[in-house]
Amino acid sequence: MDDQGCPRCKTTKYRNPSLKLMVNVCGHTLCESCVDMLFVRGSGNCVQCDTPLRKSNFRVQLFEDPAVDKEVEIRKKVLKIYNKRDFDFSNLREYNDYLERVEEIVYNLTNNLEVEGTKQIMEAYQRENRDIIQKNKAKLTREQEELEELLLLEQQGNEQRRLETLQEEQRQLQAKRKSKQALLDELERSHVPATILLAQHKDRAAQLETQIEKQKQVVKTTIFSTGIPMGQTVSLLTVNRLEEVLYHYQPIHMHTYGPPVPELEQLGRLGYLNHVRTAQPQDMAGGYNSGLACHRAIQDAFSGLFHPLG
Amino acid sequence: MFHISSQKKYWTFDNEESLEQLRCEANQKYRNKMLASGKPGVSDAVFLEAHEENVLFRHYEKRLLDFCNAFKPVMPKSVVGTAIMYFRRFYLNNSLMEYHPRTIMLICAYLSCKVDEFNVSSTQFVGNLVQESAAGQERALEQILEYELLLIQQLNFHLVVHTPYRPMEGLLIDIKTRYPLLENPESLRKSVDDFLTRVTLTDSGLLFPPSQIAMTAILNSASRAGLSMESYLTECMGLKEDKETLLKMYDAMRRIKSLMKKYELPKPDEVNAYKVKLERVHADFGTNSNMKRKRGYEDDDHVAKEPRMTEEEWTDEDLDDL
Repeated sequence: MDDQGCPRCKTTKYRNPSLKLMVNVCGHTLCESCVDMLFVRGSGNCVQCDTPLRKSNFRVQLFEDPAVDKEVEIRKKVLKIYNKRDFDFSNLREYNDYLERVEEIVYNLTNNLEVEGTKQIMEAYQRENRDIIQKNKAKLTREQEELEELLLLEQQGNEQRRLETLQEEQRQLQAKRKSKQALLDELERSHVPATILLAQHKDRAAQLETQIEKQKQVVKTTIFSTGIPMGQTVSLLTVNRLEEVLYHYQPIHMHTYGPPVPELEQLGRLGYLNHVRTAQPQDMAGGYNSGLACHRAIQDAFSGLFHPLG
Repeated sequence: MFHISSQKKYWTFDNEESLEQLRCEANQKYRNKMLASGKPGVSDAVFLEAHEENVLFRHYEKRLLDFCNAFKPVMPKSVVGTAIMYFRRFYLNNSLMEYHPRTIMLICAYLSCKVDEFNVSSTQFVGNLVQESAAGQERALEQILEYELLLIQQLNFHLVVHTPYRPMEGLLIDIKTRYPLLENPESLRKSVDDFLTRVTLTDSGLLFPPSQIAMTAILNSASRAGLSMESYLTECMGLKEDKETLLKMYDAMRRIKSLMKKYELPKPDEVNAYKVKLERVHADFGTNSNMKRKRGYEDDDHVAKEPRMTEEEWTDEDLDDL
């Protein structure tokens, strides 16, 4: 499950696979119990690199390699500041340059290279582009909210559908029970013979079923099967038409060097089949019929009859 | 179908002379090979001439036919026809002196059973060599399996043979349907069968399409029985206007009939004389591949194998009473 144990208690990780590993800002791992242990004693230093830590800085490890987790954290923080997007730039080259700068910053912070210098660069950028940063933040939040709304709607739709089907089932069950009860009552009370009552009951049950079927079919269709809602106009790019030469079918012409052979379908009509052994039921089951053998014999008889020259 | 078959493309020749030529060439090739090898006792007189080979060929062919007819379970006629055709084709390009016909004949029958889907196991096949002991049958089987690939190769891997039997059936059906002038075509069947068996012993299979042979058979039997079938060709086959094709048909039929007349069973004293010669050629110059196979073992000290040649191989007499 894990390639290393917790560096502090070492053994506990192997013995207890459900134990989670936490990662802090310096990129070192500690299992949950060790984290608790560490902060009970009041000391807040990492075991390996001795950097002062706070309990809130520990997050549950998502990746196997703690360095990746560390980078993910740093990246999140950096991107909160550097949050420009592709339409903010006039051309692709500038956007790529910007992205490269961001990557450099992340890389430096992750590997602890020039931490001070990088932090200063970040602060300078933040000061300069304060308003742009704010605007982008607002946009981002709005987009996220929209997405969440859509998800919520979908969930609600599913819920509703589920409830509806449940209700439908309930209703059907009730209807069936009622009709049964009605039948029993009638059998008790009325003077009509039992067979007629049963027949009537069956008719009514059949009618009920067809009603239910019809109801099911009258479900309102609001969207096409591909997910596009009805009524939405979709703009299609014009597809280039490829003009090619149409294929013309030329039937195969085989030179049999003999008189023409009648077609398989014509054999019966022309009376050939009277002179061939009729097919037994066992033969017919396999798909054989006497026409096949007859046709083959005739083909063999006529093939090459006028050899050498057609 | 015949018109797209390998038989039509590669194994149908124009006239008997070309066949004779091929056989002479095969004979000559073997002679040259033996003369060039410079073995002791090699001289022209020892070898068989082309016409002598012909006599022996016919003898062994008849033997093959008898073997197939005595075969148990009963061999269908197409299998017999295929076997004889393989035999004929093989000795068109090879000399009898190089490969003994006795072996090749059995292999032809074996291969033809396989190709024509007449399923006979190998033990069952050699079980038909009634004169042999079980060991002899096994030896025969070994030889068969050894030479089988050679046979296929010499046939140029063209294994499908179109025999005249199905065309004969087809023509009979056609006559019954479209030619009411002939009252009872079934009465002709026996003589037609007879004709076809005799025709397989001639070179017709290599010269004419099977449908023509079947047509000849039927027309011949009809004329023998005194029934007239002339209008069949002109009316039903649509050849009334096409004089040229009609003439060609008649010509072909005439040639087939003449081939059949020319055929005669080989005379026993000739056969014996040539057989002696053949045996000597095989004994002196025959490359017995069994020797080659066991040569590897002779180097091992503890596996001392005697060359197979000294053991008694099965001879012609074993097949006599089939």
